Amino acid sequence: MFLWFHKMASPRFFYRLAEILIPWFAACTAIIVVWALYLGLIVAPPDYQQGESYRIIYVHVPAAWMSMFVYMIMAVSSAIFLIWKMKIADIVAEVSAPIGASFTFIALATGSLWGKPMWGTYWVWDARLTSELILLFLYFGYMALRTAIENRSSAARAAAILALVGVVNIPIIHFSVEWWNTLHQPASISKLDTPSIHKSMLIPLLMMMGGFKLFYLVNMMSRARTAILEREGGASWVRERMAQDRL
Amino acid sequence: MNPKRKQKLILIIAMVAGVGIAVGLLLNAFQQNLMLFFSPTDVVAGKAPEDAKFRIGGLVEAGSVQREADGLTVSFKVTDNAKTVAIRYTGILPDLFREGQGIVSLGRLDDTGVFVASEVLAKHDENYMPPEVADALEKTRQAEESGKAAQTAVHGSNTVQMQ
Amino acid sequence: MINACLTVIRRDLLIAARRRGEWLNPLVFFVIVVSLFPLGIGPEPNRLQEIAPGVIWVAALLATLLALDSLFRADFDDGVLEQMLMSAQPLSLLVLGKVVAHWLTTGLPLLMLSPMLGIVMNLQIRALPALIASLALGTLTLSLIGGIGAALTVSLRRGGVLLALLVLPLFIPVLIFGSSCVVAAAAGQPVEGHLSLLGAMAILAIVLAPLATAAALRVSAE
Repeated sequence: MFLWFHKMASPRFFYRLAEILIPWFAACTAIIVVWALYLGLIVAPPDYQQGESYRIIYVHVPAAWMSMFVYMIMAVSSAIFLIWKMKIADIVAEVSAPIGASFTFIALATGSLWGKPMWGTYWVWDARLTSELILLFLYFGYMALRTAIENRSSAARAAAILALVGVVNIPIIHFSVEWWNTLHQPASISKLDTPSIHKSMLIPLLMMMGGFKLFYLVNMMSRARTAILEREGGASWVRERMAQDRL
Repeated sequence: MNPKRKQKLILIIAMVAGVGIAVGLLLNAFQQNLMLFFSPTDVVAGKAPEDAKFRIGGLVEAGSVQREADGLTVSFKVTDNAKTVAIRYTGILPDLFREGQGIVSLGRLDDTGVFVASEVLAKHDENYMPPEVADALEKTRQAEESGKAAQTAVHGSNTVQMQ
Repeated sequence: MINACLTVIRRDLLIAARRRGEWLNPLVFFVIVVSLFPLGIGPEPNRLQEIAPGVIWVAALLATLLALDSLFRADFDDGVLEQMLMSAQPLSLLVLGKVVAHWLTTGLPLLMLSPMLGIVMNLQIRALPALIASLALGTLTLSLIGGIGAALTVSLRRGGVLLALLVLPLFIPVLIFGSSCVVAAAAGQPVEGHLSLLGAMAILAIVLAPLATAAALRVSAE
């Protein structure tokens, strides 16, 4: 088991694995997202109160979800990197940051577009939105720290510490609705037993979430491959590989 | 026990104690009203500040919405099904504002006890459903209510979770 | 163990007493930033009263941030930091000592000036105790959290702006509860809840922040 884990962690193996998986995952992402968008935007009925404008949840909710999910991945891989010094964990954390920041930005932008018809204003300083904004700042800080420290191994460890410190922010995001009890409606899918969202609307939403997750994996793996090549440029397997590809 | 270990043990005990105290303080904090948020019952009972801005939340009472001649100023009442408070607001109301809807409003009380709002925000509930489903729910609700009407005169059983 | 911590505090206080300029600067900054607001917004007393809690809190936060840059800088430059890393005492305790000393020289004077600034900003007198109490708990938390950022950036030549980018997001919850505590007091509401929340954050920061700061110092000192 540990051997497998260790093998998995070698950049070379990861590079090869990602190469095989990316096309499959990319195809799945495309199919699922297109299908979910069709179900969500065309098939699903309008909401009894919000009419058509609720349909933005098919982008907003998965993006908000991913913004936190990606940060958790960053924090977990940072912890793995600090404890077991696993190179690939650092690479995953590094390449995930810009993707997570993009998801956060999408969640903020779509949330504010949704806020106009729902709350009567583009931006409300409520708990959810504010913590999402803080999350975006955290991503920015993480990326800035990485680029500021020139020594790569120091940068990796410093950034990992920062990611773990920032993870304190994630529970604040999650429980902020209860803490500040303001305008933002409580999370719709927190109650799995009796979802308060109708089935015809829920299924496309869940599909979108799956699609976003796959999209993240594709994106992360292809970025990680580039990062591996950049870091391991001197290693013999990379040179062999490149020579092969040229033929 | 060697001194190094003892040191570590003391540190860990101190940390655990610290976390314990912090959790206690947090629990204490959440029992207080941290948001300057009051229900109409609180306001009528005089719990809300008289000379400062605060938030009020409740349902817009059916039949209470009146527009004034300038077309922008709206007067209505919010209720928590026990007490009501009159609100006056000048500005554009959000789409979801309607009678029976839950709203949150920021403002202050004037001398006559009217809440002068500087902001009105509609709180939509966390249910998403097609209009037909909502209609059906409404019908069953009305049927139940007319059945109960013989026993009780209480109107509008739709409760909205405000907190 | 406790002695080591106290020794660090005593040493840093002594250094601060001999180098007066360093800890006076953030204080002057605090006063000037607050007095810029009436100049920028207008002298109308009611409006100033309304924004006073937020303005004073933001200014205190920025002053704390400004002072943070020097937290480990001198020790890093003259090699004391490496001595601390190699010492037999737990590094996180030494770090805690340094942060507490730093707070005593920057945070505490800030608190003592804050009632005066409250009056200048036309803040209700009844809100002043809450202002002092919230700043006391809050600035300590800020110094502790900021210490992590200072440790991460101490080896960088231009760490100042980066330090702000790293720690400001982490400061936000403290700012929110700190200023809303003062707002509640100004409205004549009880502030017990806010203060216990700030207290909880301060204790958590005392327990957890020095660990992260120590780890960050080890990375920076490589």
